[in-house]
Amino acid sequence: MEMTDVAVVGRARSGDSDAFRLLVEKHSRAIFRVAYRMTGNQHDADDVVQEAFLRAYRQIDTFQERANFGTWLHRITVNCALDLLRARGRHDKHYIHEEDGQMTREAATTEPQPDRLLLSAELQKHVALALQDLSGNERIAFMLRHFDGMPVEEIGKTLGIQVNAAKNTIFRAVRKLRHSLEPLVRPTQCNT
Amino acid sequence: MQHLTEEQLVEHYYHDGDAEAAVAHLRSCAECAAQYQTLERVLGLVDDAPVPDRGEDYGAEVWNRLRWKLGASRRRQWKAPLAVAAMLAVAFFIGQFWQGRSNERSGTLTVTQTAQKELSSKTVPTATNDKAVDRLLFVVVGDHLDNSERMLLEVVNAGSAVGAQEERAGELVAANRIYRQTAMQRGDDRIAELLSDLEPILVELANAGSTLEGKKLADLQQRIDSKALLFKVRVVSARTAKQVNSL
Repeated sequence: MEMTDVAVVGRARSGDSDAFRLLVEKHSRAIFRVAYRMTGNQHDADDVVQEAFLRAYRQIDTFQERANFGTWLHRITVNCALDLLRARGRHDKHYIHEEDGQMTREAATTEPQPDRLLLSAELQKHVALALQDLSGNERIAFMLRHFDGMPVEEIGKTLGIQVNAAKNTIFRAVRKLRHSLEPLVRPTQCNT
Repeated sequence: MQHLTEEQLVEHYYHDGDAEAAVAHLRSCAECAAQYQTLERVLGLVDDAPVPDRGEDYGAEVWNRLRWKLGASRRRQWKAPLAVAAMLAVAFFIGQFWQGRSNERSGTLTVTQTAQKELSSKTVPTATNDKAVDRLLFVVVGDHLDNSERMLLEVVNAGSAVGAQEERAGELVAANRIYRQTAMQRGDDRIAELLSDLEPILVELANAGSTLEGKKLADLQQRIDSKALLFKVRVVSARTAKQVNSL
């Protein structure tokens, strides 16, 4: 019979490394998905997964049994991703910035042509590039709101910023995504 | 009619803000409804953004990379003071050993030293003292080799990169120097030679920065491999364990 996470955590707390291995094996793939969305690349995501489990191991005594281990680990993963992005200075990596209320691109890019985007792989590449255009904070705030449904207040706490700032960060992220991806979803004009 | 702002559209999408008012407006305003539809499509694309599938074995791979670090993390909490104490003890014994030998060679033992030597030879047999020193040395060197082996394994098994090792490697370099000098002074050539081979690798890891990757990682893996370092570490480690048991 499969043991519950709480039971396994209990064993891990008492120093049973096999129990912690069960937690790692069970949650790694889910945590990788979170880490990948936050960091945008596989290598960083792998590092985040590893660091998240290390922190979880060191802090396992602080885990409250009423809580869900997956949720607790998810929070740790987000913090690890944030730390990684901060350490790499991704917060300052803005490819798009606001100038007099007008969105402008710093680097010249080729606007996607709908007829060239028939392949889903091509489409996915554009989505990945659009996400890469987000700063670290924007990316994490957006992902937490979009994929995890985290309330804006919580996102603010996670990022260590005010609620309004968190809200604006999400708006900025959505605006950038819209700017990059809208040409791909706009209905094509038929000139018949 | 006042249109919904971009922010209000986003809030509505995420079920924030005044939902009723937004729904009512979207029903009556084609322009805002079109804007909202575009927003839904854009964010729908993000939903489909691919995440690489790491396969069924990913958990096991993560565990394999992690388990050494977990061991080190747990051990470090209680072992760091022990390691320092062991190094100090080794340094103390080396000092005693060399002082004794140089005094014997020069024949300039002071009265007090002669008395101490006499006393110690009467209370504790010299052979027993030597055995205790040997045993201590083999225990700490064996432990050092185990720790070094774990680190080498992490490097050798790393795929594209290996995480920060600076702190651990720095500790290992410091210990390695002491044990290498001790082994040389004691004439234990096999251990001294292994520790000499090990030291530059540990130094490189200690200076590698936060991540070791690409050509640097490949070069280091090649160096470890070309010297058959892991094999030698295991052999000498097994030998020291055997010697500890025989003393």
